[in-house]
Amino acid sequence: MQDFLELAVSATASGCIYGLIALAYLLMIRPTGIINFAVGEWAMVGAFGGFLLLSKAEWPYPVGMAAVLGFMLLVGWATERVAVRPLVERGAPLLAPILALLGMLVVFRESISLAFGPDPHQVPYPFGFGRLELGPLAGPYQSFFIIGATLVVFAAAWLFFERTLWGKCFEAVAIHRRAAALVGIDLGRVTALSFAAGGAAAGLGGLLVSANVSAHYLMGVPLAIQGFTALVIGGVGRVEGALLGGLLLAFAEQFTVRYAPLPAGYAQGVPLIMLMLFLLLRPTGLLAAREARA
Amino acid sequence: MIALVRWVGTAIALSAVAFFLGDYYNDVYRKLLLWVALALSYNFLFGISGQVAFSHFAFYGIGAYSVVILLFQAQLPLPVAIILGVVVCVVVALGVAIPSTRLEGFYLALVTLALAQLFIVVLNEGGTVTGGTGGLVDYRLPTILGVRIAGPWYTAVIVVLVLVTLAVLWRLDRSWFGRACRAVRDNPEAASAMGVDVARTKVIAFTLTSALAGLAGMVYAFVDNTVSPPIFGLENAFLLLFMVIVGGAGRHAGAIVGAVLLYLLPFVLSPLIGHHHALVFGVLMVAAILLQPRGIIGIYDRLRGS
Repeated sequence: MQDFLELAVSATASGCIYGLIALAYLLMIRPTGIINFAVGEWAMVGAFGGFLLLSKAEWPYPVGMAAVLGFMLLVGWATERVAVRPLVERGAPLLAPILALLGMLVVFRESISLAFGPDPHQVPYPFGFGRLELGPLAGPYQSFFIIGATLVVFAAAWLFFERTLWGKCFEAVAIHRRAAALVGIDLGRVTALSFAAGGAAAGLGGLLVSANVSAHYLMGVPLAIQGFTALVIGGVGRVEGALLGGLLLAFAEQFTVRYAPLPAGYAQGVPLIMLMLFLLLRPTGLLAAREARA
Repeated sequence: MIALVRWVGTAIALSAVAFFLGDYYNDVYRKLLLWVALALSYNFLFGISGQVAFSHFAFYGIGAYSVVILLFQAQLPLPVAIILGVVVCVVVALGVAIPSTRLEGFYLALVTLALAQLFIVVLNEGGTVTGGTGGLVDYRLPTILGVRIAGPWYTAVIVVLVLVTLAVLWRLDRSWFGRACRAVRDNPEAASAMGVDVARTKVIAFTLTSALAGLAGMVYAFVDNTVSPPIFGLENAFLLLFMVIVGGAGRHAGAIVGAVLLYLLPFVLSPLIGHHHALVFGVLMVAAILLQPRGIIGIYDRLRGS
């Protein structure tokens, strides 16, 4: 039982990371339909930002974290400017920006590898090592920090979509692009904002996970796969779906490693199997999108 | 008849080159030909049928590994091993394509990305069957009727593979099926209204091109006489996509130009920037999509048109 709860805490923490990556996808897919596989690389850029500011420059954690998130907003916005907007304005098919973003994925990764070399770089913990015990639940500080930070982000995203006018604009664009444009919503601005927010969400995920796994230039693609699997499980329609999908995926992964008699490397196959299962059985994900109200 | 003469003439000309090259350049030439074969079949999958998949290079690896395992661990004769290797590729391809093409959007891209990742995991964890991280080494092409094909003659085998791939895809592209693929790519609803079975067309195109990639992998297995996990990494799946886009998606000539250019580019660039040529590929890819969506062939067409 102790073992089980210990595992549950660590699975929840990695589920939160997947959830953040899934949220980054979702923020961009909902209004634009564009799947941005570069989110994994954004997470990596966030992790290296953490290394630069927190390990090398030794900024205090909250300041460094805020700076990284601010920078990631900029990265997301700039990516949209360079690789998405010219294509959308030209009326290119949806595939074009997706492919351009794949090219950006390689550009991000190779630039980081050029600048930092192929070795992993340590990123510090905000609260140091040490364990926190909350009744029967126990785990490293970092796990609880990840869970707390993720919950704050998801609460903010939920409030944004449910309670603000801007959030309603996003929903409107997601439900019907042309109608939204006709009632005066600036599509370009919604797209730019969704990419900036996606950059920040992915960057936060990367920063949080890098304390456990170190910043490495190849960390992006696995995160991109796990994040998207989380999104498929939860459904692209609702913010909560991203978190739910991430948690389910992480539990499936970690319990396979712990209890199934398989080599640990095969845990990487869990996302593929879950992806296939959900595509076959429930392609809309667990939580369906809200329909337009008449 | 004239067409046949032309194909045979091309085969002889391309093979003859190999007899004038030294060992090193023969090796470069063989790999160039294999990239051309892969780019041709990937172009049919991505450029003509419009399916974004990252599994093409994994199928190349599946073909290479399965022929080696079937030959030297199951001790099967060469023709049986080749046929069974193709069967393995077809079964895996069907298993991936049937669930993911039922849905719209880019699910295939994601499933195939995960498959490519999983393939490397299986290779690394496969124990004695796949040889783990070191892969399988020290095997030789079995003799056929007492003759072992080696040196430039093996390059000729690769030339035949490239031309067979091109011939099959060429004929297919000009057939009913090729037009159905293009229709499905450009407008699935309209294609469906015209009586094309969209899902089936996608599944057949995916399976066929994946099997062609597997066949190329089988030929590759005896180029270096080594198969190991790093050779079949995800990097090369991206490279293949970039080759087709930079060269000109949807055109056989584009795939060939893209493969030749991106394969030879690192030889030119490495004295300048070392191993970071992938950065140049990424920039080329973004530039191609933003500035010239038809790729190099598009530029050529425009120059010839004006």
